[in-house]
Amino acid sequence: MEASQLIQNLLNGLAIGSVYAIFALGYTLVFSILGIINFAHGAVFTLGAYFTYTLVVGQFENNGLLKGINLFPNGSPLSGNPWVFALATLVGAVIAGLIAVLIERLAFRPMRARGADPLLALVSSLGVALVIVNLIQLLVGAEIYNFPSDAYGQVQPALSFQVGEKVVIIRTVQVIIFAVSLVMLAVLGYVIGRTKVGKALRAVAENPGTASLLGISVDRFILITFFLSGFLGGLAGTLVGTAFGVAGPYFGVTYGLKGLAVIVLGGLGSIPGAVVGGLVIGLAEAFVPSQYSAYKDAVAFALLFVILLVRPQGLLGRAQIQKV
Amino acid sequence: MGEFLSQYGFLIVTMVQAGLLGLSLYFPLQAGQLSLASPGFYAVGGYVSAIMLTNPAFSGLRDSLGNGLFPLTWLAAALVCGVLGVIVGVPALRLRGIYLALATIAFVEILRVVSLNLDITGGAIGIFGIPQAFGFQDRWQYIWLFGPLLILTLLFARQLERSRVGRALRAIREDELAADAMGVPPTRYKVLAFVIGAVLAGIVGAMSAPFLNTWNAKQGTFDASIAILAFVLIGGSRNIWGPVVGGALLTAIPELLRFLADWRLVINGLVLVVASLYLPQGIVGALQRLRRTPPPQRPPSVAEVKGGTS
Amino acid sequence: MKRIALTVALGVLASAQAQKVQVPIPIGVALAQTSNTALLGQEQVIGARLAEKFINGRGGINGTPIKLVFQDAAGDENSAINAFQNLITKSAVVGIVGPTLSQQAFAADPIAERAKVPVLGPSNTAKGIPQIGQFIARVSAPVAVVAPNAVKQALKLDPKIKKVAVLYAQNDAFSTSETGTFQETAKAQGLDVVTVQKFQTTDTDFTTQVTSVLNSGADLVIVSGLAADGGNLVKQLRQLGYKGLIIGGNGLNTSNIFPVCQKYCDGVIIAQAYSPAQPSAANQLFVKEYRAQYKKDPPQFAAQAYAGVQVMVDALRAIDRRKKLSQWDLDDLRVELNKQILAGKYNTPLGELRFDKDGEIIQKEFYVAQIKMKDAKNGSFVYLK
Repeated sequence: MEASQLIQNLLNGLAIGSVYAIFALGYTLVFSILGIINFAHGAVFTLGAYFTYTLVVGQFENNGLLKGINLFPNGSPLSGNPWVFALATLVGAVIAGLIAVLIERLAFRPMRARGADPLLALVSSLGVALVIVNLIQLLVGAEIYNFPSDAYGQVQPALSFQVGEKVVIIRTVQVIIFAVSLVMLAVLGYVIGRTKVGKALRAVAENPGTASLLGISVDRFILITFFLSGFLGGLAGTLVGTAFGVAGPYFGVTYGLKGLAVIVLGGLGSIPGAVVGGLVIGLAEAFVPSQYSAYKDAVAFALLFVILLVRPQGLLGRAQIQKV
Repeated sequence: MGEFLSQYGFLIVTMVQAGLLGLSLYFPLQAGQLSLASPGFYAVGGYVSAIMLTNPAFSGLRDSLGNGLFPLTWLAAALVCGVLGVIVGVPALRLRGIYLALATIAFVEILRVVSLNLDITGGAIGIFGIPQAFGFQDRWQYIWLFGPLLILTLLFARQLERSRVGRALRAIREDELAADAMGVPPTRYKVLAFVIGAVLAGIVGAMSAPFLNTWNAKQGTFDASIAILAFVLIGGSRNIWGPVVGGALLTAIPELLRFLADWRLVINGLVLVVASLYLPQGIVGALQRLRRTPPPQRPPSVAEVKGGTS
Repeated sequence: MKRIALTVALGVLASAQAQKVQVPIPIGVALAQTSNTALLGQEQVIGARLAEKFINGRGGINGTPIKLVFQDAAGDENSAINAFQNLITKSAVVGIVGPTLSQQAFAADPIAERAKVPVLGPSNTAKGIPQIGQFIARVSAPVAVVAPNAVKQALKLDPKIKKVAVLYAQNDAFSTSETGTFQETAKAQGLDVVTVQKFQTTDTDFTTQVTSVLNSGADLVIVSGLAADGGNLVKQLRQLGYKGLIIGGNGLNTSNIFPVCQKYCDGVIIAQAYSPAQPSAANQLFVKEYRAQYKKDPPQFAAQAYAGVQVMVDALRAIDRRKKLSQWDLDDLRVELNKQILAGKYNTPLGELRFDKDGEIIQKEFYVAQIKMKDAKNGSFVYLK
């Protein structure tokens, strides 16, 4: 492989992988605390994008109950100003976080209180996802919505540079996503590793029983975890939406499946693992030779299968102690 | 009656079919193994039968066997899925709990991508124009296939539970290490339970291909994996009637909610949430509790171990 | 005496069996109102609703109004079958427009065939649909006839084109058959197909495919996909620096791609089975109604669903002239309606159309358009001569 081709594939892989990674961050966070897979994460991710869209553009088109609504009759005041867009993104993410908290209160906590089979959380969260997706469909229809093209201000659509004789190029939006996902990882790492809240979270993840004996309010920290997960999910939804458009109510749900592969590969419940898993799968897909591109989607799952057999705890996860 | 059958016949058959798929997941679960591979085997079984019933390569066989070909497709599907079950099961069943579930989801997804790419499976369009089994005129008549299969499966499940194998499976579910120490080889029994589930799902698939008239890569997906898991958990995972009741109900609900028009899938989602919150033992489990007073006290840790997420 | 009583009793039974046609005349519509196929389905629903409003506004079928009965067929086979069953038995419809996907049609159409209920597929383009049975026809032209014109138009715009890159959505039945036609046409025109790339309709990131296209040195790119994936592909091709012409397949013939590729949509050549520019009076009325309500040009899926309803109504009108619809037995009317659909000639927004004996559409005109974007969100398909 030529050097330019190699670098291009690397960049492509990192670009795709960082999208997987930021989706998976919130996904794995909930697993780390509760040991459940929250299928509603994809729907919360979608919601984040829709909330931001509503704040920025405030117009919905032909279908659904919100049809024809126009929050900003004289054109959006926010358009074209990257700082205001960033603010809308944050607000959208906060609302998504609150929704995640609500989901925890309504769909997960009652189950924990009864000591129900944790597998039921899969079904319950699937139900929540169904409700959210179909509510979006009902309210705004299945149309594709998109953020203004100047959401990040006037940036070049792509960056290119010379490698030998060839040119290597990458979309600017994806560089932004990559950078933001690294920042998110760093902030999350700081919160969990260095702050008091983070220590308590880790204690709850380690052993909820002991944590509550130590005077940590487990329920409160589970709420905080869900808020963080929803916040990260909502933020990711907006970011991915700026790159690819908000492609209807199923926009985030389609990441849910590949997100599973990502968090298993990285190690279930491991936060750096989600990022590493995302990047590894992104790179693996980017290096699939183009004549086999049809099998690209199988790559993530082939990797998942193999890693489970060789190292079930994933790349960065800790080995589980066999409980007898 | 004719009216009722022609309107709801198809739905009733799909309810039975869902129950059968629920049971295919129930067998490995009896040994404590959470496998979500059923849709994969279901898809493979369907492809086997669809190919035998439409591919020119089998036209000689079709002409000479006539309707006798249909049972042969079930047999072929059972065989293929059994072998595939062993191939996948032996390595995968070293995993437990959620890890096994995820590995089987990967299996389903890989199968889906492969079937999209093969010529023999018809790519994205799939296989269509599959002849109706035994010249059935109406879809409700498939109850004559799925019904007996359900009864046979239930009888088989009951016999199995009472047999030495069944006791071994339960021993593995409750405590694999102890079972091993007592001379019950866990791997062999776990693979056995997995293969039984695979064969059942394969046969259901083989019967379903003519039932749907068409077969494509959308038949075996991740969504189906989770749906079937919901059948078992909402129905009740501790009793053979659980998957049957769960499959039938969860298949019927979105159809019975059609009068709600746009709201029907929102309400369907709410039903799933409410059912998992208020029926932690599943419907059948709740009914058993109602019958038995006082309810049997189970320490909460049992529920946790049974899920096997740890 | 006994015998007479028996005959009377049997007669009563028989008349209870033979159902009369309801008024207003119920026509079934089974489309994807939910699931991720709803993006297509909801455009179709809009088209069908417009047809109902327009037809009833003009006195229905010689004075008898019609009533569309909607049943959600979602995106899967089971839902489509259940929707069909509901329409046929419970709603006693005279005919059905639907379902959305070809795969669903293969499963559900045989149900209607068995019940002898005429079906018009508004968007089922795969090979073999009209051959499912006598009662199955479609108003959606199979892909084979739509695609080649676009390649010829591209060559007219840029005769220097030599190398073609082809991309298609591999999990979409429509796109996989369309790409076959595109590739054959390209070869027949003496072009060199330098790379064929596959993707999924659920994909969003096409960096890898685009890089391969750029490396192949192609000067024409042909995309077969649907709105979201196709739009993203166009956008990413342009952002990463592809300068040549792009042809979009029939699946991209929807204004839904505008918000996705925004200004980058500009200049894409689209193969169309429907064009708002089609000059017939029927179409111009439809376009006017649609614009008045939705402030944009009608998409192809809406036009095809509209045409489906219209064909049924036109055929019913012809039958009604011979014998009032309300006097028909439902079963007889369904058979007669099927015959009439296949016999007639229709002036729909798709232009003049009729059917061959299988129920395959014979559509006179196909179109090639080029996208012109007014601003980031709004654009139009400009008809190419």
